[in-house]
Amino acid sequence: MTRKEYIAQQRDRHGRKSIAVLPIHYPKEVLTALDILAVELWGPPGAPRGEGAGRIQAYVCSVVRNALAFLSSGGADAVDGVLFPHTCDSIQGLATLATDFGGWGKKSFTFLHPKGPPRESSRVYLEAELRSLVRELEPFAGRSLEPDRLAAALRLHEEIDECRAALLDARPRLAVADKELYALLRRGEWLWPADHLAELREARARWPAGPVRPGVPVLVSGYVPEPPALLEVLDAAGAYVGADDYAAVGRRVVRATNLAGDPWQALLARYWAAPPCSTRSADHGERIRHLGALLDRSGARGVILHVLKFCEPELFDVPVLRRAFAERGVPVLYLEGELEAGLSGQVVTRVEAFVEMISAGRAA
Amino acid sequence: MILRRAQYELAGRVGGPFLASLDGWKRTLRARGRTPRETPFGPPLESLRKLKEIMTAHYFQARYADGAVPVAWVTSGFPVEVLRPFGFHAVYPENHAAMCGVQRLVPGLSDAVEALGYSRDLCSYARTDLGSVVTGQTPVGRLPRPDLLACCTNICQTVLYWYRALADHFQVPLVLVDTPYVYGEAKPHHIAYVRAQLEELVRVAERISGRRADPEALAAVARKAKEGTDLWADCLATGKSRPAPWTGIDGFFHMAPIVALRGTDTCNDYYRMLRDELRDRAQRGIGGLREERHRLLWDNLPIWFAVREVATLLATRGFNFVCTSYTNAWAEAGSRIDPEDLIGSAADSYTHIILNQDLPNRLGILRRLSREYGVDGAVLHSDRSCKPYSIGQVDLKERLAAETGIRVLLLEADHSDPRAWSREQADNRLTAFMESFE
Repeated sequence: MTRKEYIAQQRDRHGRKSIAVLPIHYPKEVLTALDILAVELWGPPGAPRGEGAGRIQAYVCSVVRNALAFLSSGGADAVDGVLFPHTCDSIQGLATLATDFGGWGKKSFTFLHPKGPPRESSRVYLEAELRSLVRELEPFAGRSLEPDRLAAALRLHEEIDECRAALLDARPRLAVADKELYALLRRGEWLWPADHLAELREARARWPAGPVRPGVPVLVSGYVPEPPALLEVLDAAGAYVGADDYAAVGRRVVRATNLAGDPWQALLARYWAAPPCSTRSADHGERIRHLGALLDRSGARGVILHVLKFCEPELFDVPVLRRAFAERGVPVLYLEGELEAGLSGQVVTRVEAFVEMISAGRAA
Repeated sequence: MILRRAQYELAGRVGGPFLASLDGWKRTLRARGRTPRETPFGPPLESLRKLKEIMTAHYFQARYADGAVPVAWVTSGFPVEVLRPFGFHAVYPENHAAMCGVQRLVPGLSDAVEALGYSRDLCSYARTDLGSVVTGQTPVGRLPRPDLLACCTNICQTVLYWYRALADHFQVPLVLVDTPYVYGEAKPHHIAYVRAQLEELVRVAERISGRRADPEALAAVARKAKEGTDLWADCLATGKSRPAPWTGIDGFFHMAPIVALRGTDTCNDYYRMLRDELRDRAQRGIGGLREERHRLLWDNLPIWFAVREVATLLATRGFNFVCTSYTNAWAEAGSRIDPEDLIGSAADSYTHIILNQDLPNRLGILRRLSREYGVDGAVLHSDRSCKPYSIGQVDLKERLAAETGIRVLLLEADHSDPRAWSREQADNRLTAFMESFE
């Protein structure tokens, strides 16, 4: 079933409105509690659809250029609204460009999450911003946010995260290709959460933990696992994603939060408990510790920094991460990609050479 | 400490002005006996000498600031008024990076940090500043080590990533004023958030400076900052005269005090002098160009390394940039400041910076400037290094042209890095643009 068909089915069967959501961090639990289907818009990848891409300069990231082209060519007409989180300057600019100057005529929302490590001011602000967003979403959804529904949504998303974490943590013992695993994990970007959870449960039953799989585990950190062919190239070269720090995947898996008590406080706690992400301006030390823990837990022998071209939040963290990994003696491969382009032969060769090197146990 | 403080005061009061005079004297000597070059520009502003003196003194004094007074490195959109009463010497890395840009030092400085893993796709101001920090190279002799890094995201989020890198390097506190982007109207909780962060800033400033916040001192600085902003607005407004008594390019250089010295007597005294000179020139019909035939608007940051060559190319055919959205931003920044409530009004004012507001607001500013300054055309600098300023320009170009009937050119370059600039291509585009007026 295509996304469009799925969105239509959700509307017909459950009367659910749907909303396209730009990357990366947003209160999905709130959308679920309000019975709104979130359909994430990571570009989409490939060549831009329509001429809208030309309205943004070529030196801006392809997620934003493609998103404008997609929205303005009617690609997202199946949804009822768009949510723009406060991810970066470019998405911020897209939000006003598409809604004020043409490209998106339906309802639009913003979620201006705070930047930097938590402070007293940002904790207070986050709650106010979330409550403000809820006030705007309620008439759109046609229902108010009841505490019980929010609590249920929080439990649902916690369970989803538990399943996702279990799959990612058990990666070396799962007899499944990365491409297949990521296809499953990324279906959570547009499936209704309960449907996604059912798929995750079914996958866990289908892929029981077995003996450690052959191949070299690597840690991959980046924005989004596009193009998926990269995963195939890794696989063919004899490596696999042993630890995930993609903003689209691993950085949104929240582990172990306390959901007891006031659901609003639990919602805030889940936000602050998310793994450190460049787009939330996480503290460098915290990011390095987090990635170090991922390395230790997975036994990854190398790191691939898979950065989207022109993505400032990610690009600014690269020197810090390279230095940190170098101090640990962990080899790093830096790959810069765009959504429009497929995987070049050059990139394939670099990945193969990197895997060969770390397989032989040589430091970079 | 006492000796250092004495050096600092001496550098600001004597050393800096002396250096500026020496430099002026050298220039006069060099110029003596030379035949004046043919130029399309009007007579230079007398105030220019004073500007050089002020900025030379500011940077010369900065060399002795660390150890003498608390030093803060601040972003250009930071509410510096809150820091001044605590005795901070404010250093503006963006202003410093612009100086490096003018002197074409950016490729070398950028190379140094690209070798560390920073991408060339990042803002050239950030690369320049980080390059200067790691190499120690600077056109101003020396920048003082910061005790505090003060960053406000109202101009871009890039500054936050950039200042985090500085915080890693210097291992000093970074205070962040995170300003939620304004779509339409700012929401009350957005302003409350900024206000709360400014209150946090006061506590950090107290701790670092060892001084208690003095409401009277805060109000006094706020009054000066507001007055300085108004004076700067008066200077810019003289560009409405025909001919404009200066060029927008002059404005790029003369904005240095309102950026780096806002809230000080030095800044206000300077702009009083400049305003009077500009008004006098306007009254006497002395223009920034010898012959002003067409009036233009500039949008976005200047192309620092090519600012003179672009202006000259246009000036030779009588085209003058009589207003710019960039210099205008500094005339608006402090307009909402209320000395009786510095923190509250600064929260409101600094949230409403041009780059922190949506595109309809920006179009409104461009439209208003076009109308008030009577421009015939506009050049929108599509700046590789400044995405917040550049996203939307393709649409702005179309809309501005359609709504005002003026000719609009989108010119791609970079504010500091000449490696992203093709002079021939730019000359061709600008020449074709000028020909379209004939």
